[in-house]
Amino acid sequence: MTREAAPPAPVPVPVRKIIHVDMDAFYASVEQRDDPALRGLPVAVGGSSARGVVAAASYEARRFGVRSAMPSLTARRLCPDLVFVRPRFEVYRAVSEQIRAVFAEHTPQIEPLSLDEAYLDVTENLQGIASATEIAQRIRAAIRERTGLTASAGVSYNKFLAKLASDHRKPDGLFVITPRMGPGFVEDLPVGRFHGIGPKTAARMNRLGIQTGLDLRQQSLAALQAEFGKAGAFYHAIARGEDHRPVQAHRLRKSVGAETTFSQDLAEFAALREALRPLAAKVWEHVARHGLQGRTVTLKVKFSDFRQITRSQSSALPVGSLAELEGIATQLLGGVLPPPRGIRLLGVTLSALGGERDGAAEQMTLAF
Amino acid sequence: MKFSVDRAVLLKALAHVQSVVERRNTIPILANVMLAAQDGALTLTATDMEIAIVEAVPGVTVTRTGRTTAPAATLYEIVRKLPDAAKVELDHAGGDAPLALRAGRFATSLMVLPVEDFPSMTEGKLPHSFQLAPSLLRELVDRTKFAISTEETRYYLNGIYLHATEVEGQPVLRAVATDGHRLARVEEPLPEGAAGMPGVIIPRKTVNEIRKLADEAQDPIEVRLSDTKIRFTFGAVHLTSKLIDGTFPEYERVIPRGNDKILTVDKKAFADAVSRVAAISSERSRPVKLSLKQDSLTLTASSPDQGQAEEELDGGAVSYGNGPIEIGFQARYLADITDQIESKVEFRFADGSAPTVVVDASKPEALYVLMPMRV
Repeated sequence: MTREAAPPAPVPVPVRKIIHVDMDAFYASVEQRDDPALRGLPVAVGGSSARGVVAAASYEARRFGVRSAMPSLTARRLCPDLVFVRPRFEVYRAVSEQIRAVFAEHTPQIEPLSLDEAYLDVTENLQGIASATEIAQRIRAAIRERTGLTASAGVSYNKFLAKLASDHRKPDGLFVITPRMGPGFVEDLPVGRFHGIGPKTAARMNRLGIQTGLDLRQQSLAALQAEFGKAGAFYHAIARGEDHRPVQAHRLRKSVGAETTFSQDLAEFAALREALRPLAAKVWEHVARHGLQGRTVTLKVKFSDFRQITRSQSSALPVGSLAELEGIATQLLGGVLPPPRGIRLLGVTLSALGGERDGAAEQMTLAF
Repeated sequence: MKFSVDRAVLLKALAHVQSVVERRNTIPILANVMLAAQDGALTLTATDMEIAIVEAVPGVTVTRTGRTTAPAATLYEIVRKLPDAAKVELDHAGGDAPLALRAGRFATSLMVLPVEDFPSMTEGKLPHSFQLAPSLLRELVDRTKFAISTEETRYYLNGIYLHATEVEGQPVLRAVATDGHRLARVEEPLPEGAAGMPGVIIPRKTVNEIRKLADEAQDPIEVRLSDTKIRFTFGAVHLTSKLIDGTFPEYERVIPRGNDKILTVDKKAFADAVSRVAAISSERSRPVKLSLKQDSLTLTASSPDQGQAEEELDGGAVSYGNGPIEIGFQARYLADITDQIESKVEFRFADGSAPTVVVDASKPEALYVLMPMRV
């Protein structure tokens, strides 16, 4: 009798250590930090005009249901005492640089998602600290000390779970999802809470009887792919707490866009075409300044009932001039006219960007 | 309302006021000019809610007083196309009746909107006032306007910062503009009455409008302001503008004091060479490189697709006595500054990656700071 050969030992996959850091109510907290009179009050950063939108809401305001991206009028209705503050992006950018400097003391593997949010891969880190939780604590402490602001952090073995973890104890919290906890943690979660599953997809899943992570896990890969196409494999993985996306330290900018909300809804072609011009110019200025090239032009149209559509056109060669960008955007606009109802917002985006052109020099800026 | 006026007189006034009207506005009344005929005088008013312009038109024969509003651009186009010597008669019966315009055998009628809907920019008090010679206003604007930022997120840079300050004990009126890449600062002796004025940021559109009006002005321009509004009076034309509600950065901090490597170069030779060398690349983001040695300046530019270009300026046009430097600038930024310089450009460098000061060697009252490109 021969003994069966032992199965080959699985190649050990090193467990990664990922931290997701997310500033708490960032813009609003900066405003409350800089103006003591705002502390304890419901604050919304954004335009208070009839057409304005809330860019960020303090926790006091969130208690009334005020959320970012909400029209200012709705926010005002939910919270009549809401204090509107004009955004000061240059201050937010400066704070953002401070927090990125904190991250950089621990790892060069930083993937910023926005001014106030980033993934860090600290599997190997500059200070040789073994515990990712320890690093996250130090980062939170340093941010608080240097900026006077609080951050929440999530620690886990991939980006998906790290982000869920940072949400879990918000604000000013830290939560760790260990490899053992991962699959269980996702089980009870409604699919709508999954980062990467938007409200539309969540609704579709609900209609299929998929309410929670556990429901999602019980779907076969084939079934998910049949239903959701390419994204199916991602859903299949995250239902098991798996996510192999690396932290991308030098994520290239994927698109450049500009949009504007009109003070009155527009419907006439001439007025809409005129409105496109400054948007195209703004996009082109950025593209030109950074030496970028893009092949896809997307027009975004939001109607008076907030319904939104996009129309895109891609070409084989990069868009070569402002006139060409404007021409394509205008052509796309022609395709949605006459509009079913007034148009409140237009946006122009250039995507499918190539990297910076070789050897492009960078304009330095004055240090205000 | 009924009056008649010479076409040339009306055209000139309409040209001023229609320029303020926002072409892309979505509020119909803002496309209109208000015409008010009273006691032998006609007044035209237009506004985009940021700027209001009011002009008294001389030489008008008013036969019936009254007021109405009519489309500014259309009215201007019509009057522009009338024959030079035409006498224009405007007649409005009141209410919704159209505005009839007759000149010789030409007649038209224009739709009107009610005067009651025409917004007035409530003016409030303008406690500070002084006078400026048209030439001084032109200098303050011309030497700074090009550096105004168009970036809307930094709205407080979207204008010229005008303020009173002191230079070596002498009071001056100073204009500053910057877009973060370059900064322009120019000063004139402080006019009487301007001491104690608040620092104000005049929006770009207002700057453009007053610059046009200053071209026609002969007499001193009266400036009145508060911390929220400014009014320029050019004879019969009053332009009132809101000011940008923001804080201009502490610009003095970015003006280097210790730059000691001095290049003086003939303006025309330099500007022509920059323009020739830069022609090799159509991309704005590519720098023109300045390589400096003893009394020699070499300009180079290159483009991966098109090739490269080089031009050397030497002793005849250039004076430089410090160690070698290489530094790159956007050609357009160099041109914007040299356009404001008369004959000799003085560059003050620290090194190849530090802010550089540029002055007109014969006019020290204007100073520019230019950031290089990292090559």
